[in-house]
Amino acid sequence: MIQFNKVEIGYKQALLQVNKLELKKGEVYALIGSNGSGKSTLLNTILKKTPVLSGELLINSTSITSLSVNESAKTIAFVDSKFDGIEHLNVVDYIALGRTPYTNALGRLRPEDQAIIDNSIEKLNLEQFRNRATLKLSDGERQMVSIARAFCQSTPIILLDEPTAFLDYGNRKKLIETLSGIAKAENKCILFSTHDIDICLEEIGINLLVINQAKKELEKYPNTISKSEIISIGFDLGKE
Amino acid sequence: MNKRAQLFFLLLVITLIASFVGHLFAGQVKITFNDYWNAVFHLDETNTNHLIVREFRIPRAVIAIIAGAGLSVAGMFMQTLFNNPLAGPYVLGINTGSSLFVAFSMMTGLSFLQSDLGIITSALLGALVFGFIILFFSFFTRHHVTLLLVGLMLGSFTGAIISVLQTMSSAQELKAFTIWTMGSLQHVQFDQLPLVILFFILGTIGSLFLIKPMNVLVLGEKSTELLGLNIQSVRIFTIVITALLTGVVTAFCGPIAFVGLAVPNLTKTIFRTQNHLILLAGNFIIGGIFLLISDSIIQLLEGTIQLPINAFTSLVGAPFIIYIVLKRLK
Repeated sequence: MIQFNKVEIGYKQALLQVNKLELKKGEVYALIGSNGSGKSTLLNTILKKTPVLSGELLINSTSITSLSVNESAKTIAFVDSKFDGIEHLNVVDYIALGRTPYTNALGRLRPEDQAIIDNSIEKLNLEQFRNRATLKLSDGERQMVSIARAFCQSTPIILLDEPTAFLDYGNRKKLIETLSGIAKAENKCILFSTHDIDICLEEIGINLLVINQAKKELEKYPNTISKSEIISIGFDLGKE
Repeated sequence: MNKRAQLFFLLLVITLIASFVGHLFAGQVKITFNDYWNAVFHLDETNTNHLIVREFRIPRAVIAIIAGAGLSVAGMFMQTLFNNPLAGPYVLGINTGSSLFVAFSMMTGLSFLQSDLGIITSALLGALVFGFIILFFSFFTRHHVTLLLVGLMLGSFTGAIISVLQTMSSAQELKAFTIWTMGSLQHVQFDQLPLVILFFILGTIGSLFLIKPMNVLVLGEKSTELLGLNIQSVRIFTIVITALLTGVVTAFCGPIAFVGLAVPNLTKTIFRTQNHLILLAGNFIIGGIFLLISDSIIQLLEGTIQLPINAFTSLVGAPFIIYIVLKRLK
């Protein structure tokens, strides 16, 4: 789905190198690294917010630079670390905005769009929040609603920037389980950055992408790796 | 659309019709319903009342709706584009741009520039240029009040240029311009109406294509792009439509303050939605009602005091804006 070929990532100067990596459909990838190591920059590069410095970044075997804004929106959905809610905007209308890349110039929702919106609400168990104001949700609920919005965008890829950062333990665990479930059930490729190493290790089947602090390279590990190993690779506590 | 919104629309449409009819009968000269009927269907050109109906009453009422609706819709677009409840065509200097260009064209002495089309062109151009100036400044600030201050300074700056122009113009040109700046709905004549309506319809059709981008823009500019819209085109198209709506109104009625700021806020409070189709319709109707009623009051008071429309909307609008500032931007 997403292929990296000696890709250099950074904002003006190289921050991180991804030598050979393929992110596949039906898999969840947790991106782990210290602050400032390039997690957000990596996500922004895939979102085309930050240009690739060198190397080849392919999505579905085509270079990301050749994707139009609209094609990108039909391929990649993005969820921010925090959605604060918006005055006078209720949950179902917010989720419906995920259909934007598919609607006509007047933004009319067709019956099939409506069906996809209903399906997203059902998949994420948000039925009781459907007509609730987005401002009146808890942080955990709002994050689930954001995921529903991304889900409704019907993209093969979903990226999330520290989706668990503002949640309590219960909601963190629930969110990561939900992502894992969606990836398997819907055959999507999901990549999220996080500092919740423990939960990612507990949840079976999550792939870990750790930014090697010393080598400035992104490396893939199975989640049988131990927490102390991740810390020594990614956080390099002793040496600084 | 929920039941509540439907009920409000029903009430608003009734109010719009009532205030339109009320406006027709609010003038100082008593005109009966029969006169209206005959003036429209069996015109007698020697009958003064018939002429008043055709030359003054009907154009004035139609223009009131167009001006109110146009400015309010333009204000709504600016508020969403700049994510700022204090944005509006007047406070951000879009009207000011029109005023400056109209002042130039009125005081040059060139006859083309003083024709209807000349004035409209100048007003549209002025609105467009100042729209892009504000857009440019908006890249440097995310702060609500800062952008407002930039708009106000732009206003003072152009005000000064206009003053200089005025000292150089003839007495006749000066008088024409001064009357224009006071703002009035009564200068539009029957035969100018088609031109105004044409531009207004163009602006309204353009507005329909802004509904989708505006609904998404509520999520912020980054999300808008990630949902597949080109943010740069959205910005430019919004400014063009805003300038079109503001420019055509300003060309014929002069600068009218605060309508474009107050009505969109009022509409949002009433409908409590971010669906810009509903907001567009709401602003259209409420803006129309607001100017119809304001102008009716002006007409009723005409025997006692002469109140320019711009003065009236400021008297009502300014306190409302203070209320919004204190309530929403504590």
